[in-house]
Amino acid sequence: MSEADKDADSKKSSEARVRLSAKDLTVRFGPVVALNGFTANIPEGVIGLLGPNGAGKSTLIKASLGLVTIHRGAISVGGLDSQTQSLRIRDDIGYMPEHDCLLPSMSSVELVSYMGQVSGMDGKDAMQRTHEVLDFVGIGEERYRLIKSYSTGMKQKVKLAQAIVHDPALLFLDEPTSGMDPNGREEMLDLVRRIGEAKKTIIVSSHILQEVERVCEHAVIISEGRLVRDGKMGTLMAGEEGLQNITVRGDAKALAEFSKALGAAFEVVRKAEEGAGQMAISVKLFGDGKKVFALARAHGVQVRSYVPDKMSLEDVYLQAFRGGGPDGH
Amino acid sequence: MGINPIEYSAWKGERSAQKARMYVIARSVFRHKIRSVGVLVLLILGFLMAHAFQLLFAVLSTHEALEAESMYEYMGFGNTLFILVILLAAVVTSDLIAEDMASRSFVLYFSRAVKVRDYLIGKAAATVLVMSLLCALPPLMVGIATMATQTGDDYAQSAGVLGRTAVAGALLTVFFVPYGMMMSSITNRKSYAAVGTFMSFFVLVIVAQIFSGFDEAWRIISPVDSLSFAFGWIFDVETPDYVNWGALACFLIGFMLIPAAFVYLRLKKQVVGG
Repeated sequence: MSEADKDADSKKSSEARVRLSAKDLTVRFGPVVALNGFTANIPEGVIGLLGPNGAGKSTLIKASLGLVTIHRGAISVGGLDSQTQSLRIRDDIGYMPEHDCLLPSMSSVELVSYMGQVSGMDGKDAMQRTHEVLDFVGIGEERYRLIKSYSTGMKQKVKLAQAIVHDPALLFLDEPTSGMDPNGREEMLDLVRRIGEAKKTIIVSSHILQEVERVCEHAVIISEGRLVRDGKMGTLMAGEEGLQNITVRGDAKALAEFSKALGAAFEVVRKAEEGAGQMAISVKLFGDGKKVFALARAHGVQVRSYVPDKMSLEDVYLQAFRGGGPDGH
Repeated sequence: MGINPIEYSAWKGERSAQKARMYVIARSVFRHKIRSVGVLVLLILGFLMAHAFQLLFAVLSTHEALEAESMYEYMGFGNTLFILVILLAAVVTSDLIAEDMASRSFVLYFSRAVKVRDYLIGKAAATVLVMSLLCALPPLMVGIATMATQTGDDYAQSAGVLGRTAVAGALLTVFFVPYGMMMSSITNRKSYAAVGTFMSFFVLVIVAQIFSGFDEAWRIISPVDSLSFAFGWIFDVETPDYVNWGALACFLIGFMLIPAAFVYLRLKKQVVGG
């Protein structure tokens, strides 16, 4: 195979991995601009869609489903255009809305099976699959009770069940843990993780950054209808390149001398006394860290930890809105 | 989760055509309706009050053929039947859209491959089917029973009247459905929709009575009278001279098409956001 063929194949496979692609997407509701030239390529996997209230997250989901009129730009899902091929797109999408949307006069078996049939499953298949997905989400015998008697957590699970009953390739989860207690949140996140393991693309819109950090592989941060930052979770959360967080322990004099020597050899970014003979130092290293250990040995201090600088998703999120960041956004 | 949680498994079946989804909606609504105690009571009561006597009469009385006049008198002047039909329409259509609005479940349908048109056709088809159990099926049963027990040989003429009965039954079946759906689409509460539908017809009857004091032609704005005149035309019997047929046709068609267009556009706006 020639290099050109290899390049073409590689390009093809990277294009195939893009699940949702928006280019200059602009959606207006009267004078309100919900999406303002939003451009992003969202890959397969479990994706976190982040942004403050009114950022345009729900509009992006609706635009993907072809449920809003696009004023400018385009959005495609799995290579299909959302404006002209919305029905084909919707056949392969599952949507769990944030708000209450379940028919209270039905039991969860009736509702999920009905939604399976509305998604194109035959009655027998839909019923069998309904029991499978209700087992999967953890709805037991309560499945035969009317939904109006369910707790919020159970309703969230039924909402998830109706979204996955037809086995969609792409799943939109809008605030999946909304209104759930800590145990319920854990269960829901576990379900999301397990669906993701079945090679489904899941776009999780959430305000709870710790949850997104735990289950998502990729994050898209959106504000005022524009893409603020996106990328793999590991890349986004990676700290400044070369920055190492070091914790050392020793007597006060040794620590002071070590700190001075470290400062002479490298650029010390932060330094903090933690008490009990412990000090935390963030240092910008050049080359490997052997010299740090050599200096520690020479000054008689003990290196308790030596880890690359890493941000939490919350730091990334806040940094994105402050307008700074490692990639210059 | 248990010790060994159930893992997500894929579905390997074939999807039905997207157009077939409206049948799923229609089937579900129909099943829901015929399980409803209120609807069942109205259907049974309606049958007993409006059709049972006629059916018995058809079987027990001696008659030569199925006659248009007798069917017109049975269907066209039956105020009891009309009131029962309006009541049934109000009850059956009240929750069709109102319930989905109240529970915000439109999104469940329209995040799937369902068009607003298919959703409405599915809901309307189920309603029409329920309405036909009171409006079309019993008159046809009466017609067939009359034909089956007729003493004369002119079955062709009887079949013609049976056909007219079917047309009249179909008109009565569909006439109130779009209006009821429209009322259901403007409120979240099905009780308001039901009362609104019933009262609207009631008000039109009263307004028609008031204005007919000045000019009898105003009677066409009463749904009861306009249907009665339309049945007169269908059964080809003598109808009052003051009926303006053009105005009557406009009223009947408008009464069905305008609410249907309204509900379609309203839902389209709600779903697609204008």
